[in-house]
Amino acid sequence: MNELKSLEHATLKVPYEVFNKRYRNAQRVLDVEARQVGSGASELDAATRKQPVTTGEIDSLLGGMVEKLTTMKRKASEAITEEVQAAYVCKKRLEHLKEQAAALAEPSTPQVKAMSYTSQTTLNQWRKVRLDRMLVDYFLRNGYYDSANKLADARGLRELTNVDIYSAAAEVEAELYSQRTARCLQWCADNKSKLRKLNSNMEFKIRIQEFIELVREDKRLEAVRYAKKHFSTYEEDQLKDIQHCMGMLAFPKDTEVEPYRSLLQGVRWRALVLQFRWEHARLLHPARLPALPVALQLGLAALNTPQCYSESTRVSTCPACQPPLNALAATLPHAHVSHSRLLCRISRAPLNEHNHPMVLPNGQVYGEKALKEMMKEHGSIICPKTKEVFCMKRVEKVYVM
Amino acid sequence: MDSCVGVEQDLDKALTKFNSLNDHTNRVLQDIIDQVEELRKEIAKQPESTLLSPAQAMVVSDLASSVKQTVFQMSTEHRELHATVSRVGKSIDRHFIADYASVAPKAESFCNDTNRPIMEQAIAQHLYRQGLEDVGDAFVAEAKITGVERTCTFALLQRCAAALAEGDPSAALHWAERRAHELHTSPLPFTLHRMQAFKLAREKGVGAAIEYARRQFPAHAARHERALQAAVCALAWCTPAAGPAPPIYQHLLDPKALGAEAAELFIKEACALLRLAPLSPLAGGVLAGARVLPALHDIRAKMTHPHVIAAWSDDELPFEVDLGEDGGGYHSVFACPILRQQASEQNPPMRLLCGHVISRDALNKLAMGAKLKCPYCPMEQSPAEARQIYFS
Repeated sequence: MNELKSLEHATLKVPYEVFNKRYRNAQRVLDVEARQVGSGASELDAATRKQPVTTGEIDSLLGGMVEKLTTMKRKASEAITEEVQAAYVCKKRLEHLKEQAAALAEPSTPQVKAMSYTSQTTLNQWRKVRLDRMLVDYFLRNGYYDSANKLADARGLRELTNVDIYSAAAEVEAELYSQRTARCLQWCADNKSKLRKLNSNMEFKIRIQEFIELVREDKRLEAVRYAKKHFSTYEEDQLKDIQHCMGMLAFPKDTEVEPYRSLLQGVRWRALVLQFRWEHARLLHPARLPALPVALQLGLAALNTPQCYSESTRVSTCPACQPPLNALAATLPHAHVSHSRLLCRISRAPLNEHNHPMVLPNGQVYGEKALKEMMKEHGSIICPKTKEVFCMKRVEKVYVM
Repeated sequence: MDSCVGVEQDLDKALTKFNSLNDHTNRVLQDIIDQVEELRKEIAKQPESTLLSPAQAMVVSDLASSVKQTVFQMSTEHRELHATVSRVGKSIDRHFIADYASVAPKAESFCNDTNRPIMEQAIAQHLYRQGLEDVGDAFVAEAKITGVERTCTFALLQRCAAALAEGDPSAALHWAERRAHELHTSPLPFTLHRMQAFKLAREKGVGAAIEYARRQFPAHAARHERALQAAVCALAWCTPAAGPAPPIYQHLLDPKALGAEAAELFIKEACALLRLAPLSPLAGGVLAGARVLPALHDIRAKMTHPHVIAAWSDDELPFEVDLGEDGGGYHSVFACPILRQQASEQNPPMRLLCGHVISRDALNKLAMGAKLKCPYCPMEQSPAEARQIYFS
């Protein structure tokens, strides 16, 4: 199991969904055009059977046929090119993932030290890009479209992230914020079968909102007509909502009676935006959460130690020690450690047989090297924590298995 | 790697099929258009009002049916590609894990209303730290975050590093020169001077580079003898007429690789000097998390789902994860070698008289009244002689 396999599913799956959608779109285009040409051909056939027929008539029919075929050729080639482009996006991301795999797999034999150093650099570089990709993804899924676009542009990540795929969603959201529904309904229609499979009530919610807007504008008759048209094909659990809507017709629009008062509130539009964002992500992403909070949470848990929470034992470089993440780490479990892993608190160098752990008479442990250096500089040892002064003779070795 | 190759095979297959279908469709449609055009020309030779002869009617009707057949054939051919397309999707599902979040049931809590602002604060901090003020500002505005400092020392370093990655060492050199006395044991100055020499070689010719090397390299000769030799040798391939360089020098002659390496070294050394964290808290956390995730998926494959949840309810992760050299190890952690568990305030490390360290619980278990034999050496002592020590 590696980092690619466990984290990068969505990186490939999202462009694949686009590819799949374009494929179905192209199929529809081809079917429609084929039917068009087919009906033209039948007309031509019928004309030849109907005697007598002049060559002029046939000529114009053949002209029409050429026109239809040319349209079909153009449309078919456009649709298929779009499919191929979508597939190339997948391909591009796959290439990017392979870079990481290659950097990991590169043999780090000692004689090519310089080479392995570069592969470590590429790996670090790749991880930086991964963090940026995660950030863009997080931004997109939380509706921070401007930030996502800026970050993707600043880092040149448009192709490796889904900014372009989400740009349509950003437009739908902007429309919903300004209380218009056309694009959202169009989106529902485009993804009808998938939304039904996911049991989504997005379209129904939009219809209800439009009905409410009609009531708000006091066009009650129109509202009834609207209800006739759209609410007649309701599903099992929607009846109650419809009853509430119809009940609203009996009240003035500034009513204090619940649930009609809350139905008439403007905040419902914001809820619609959030629901749309959620449904849109649900169509594209198989995972419920963006990768960033997941990785961050697990990472904090792995770095979390009991020492992260006391002022005197905090380390400035530890992510779990510093605000603001400290507050999040506090809710998480600690890392499991079965072997000691010791660091000198002065030099931050690891403590081992080359840099022996040494205990001062007050019980504080530091590295041998750092203490010797301190001895050279000051002539005595000042415990950095308690500020007590000792001489080197009273410092003893500690053996940690 | 395997997972990538697996998906790539299916994707490549799909791509070839679609490309050939595109060509095929174009060709066939063009053919049929040509045929119709030709017939039309043939018929147009006669005056408009003449009647169609039965033979001609035959030809026209044949053509009509062949057109019909071709176009429907075309749409069928496209429909047959459905299997190829869906195979790509299935291959992605098979080779990658779709629901990575299933092993992190607490991640949901990071997205609730109390924790989300905290996490987003960390994100904004990270963006500013990277020197991406534009993005940071946009994000702070969109997510309505308060209380993030816009400037930090790290952003300055980051700008030097970015310039390095672009191939311009001047800002970093300036920074390093001002701290030359603190960097005398670091490989950074030499790396920067080397980069500058190669830059001069590319821009002003080898002569200028050698001139520069003469001035700067001697100070580093003792410490970096091999690297210095390699660098001077590699200059031989910097002339326009030179052929391709041997593989050991290629790395030195590639300005991008050299720049990326220098940028990384610069960040590492400068952070060590200024006692800053080389990674932002967010980056450090995510880096560690990316390593934990595969391990957790592994264990999930072995355990049934409820067990993993039970493992989370403990106050420790269910197992140890090696976070690598740069990914973890921010704190000293003492794990008792007898009990194989982390020491705590209730169970602190105790140094026995002989110098060996075990935890207090282990000490109490091993003590026989007033006598204790060290588990690691023959020394006998009294448990009261052990002293508590502090690793952090």
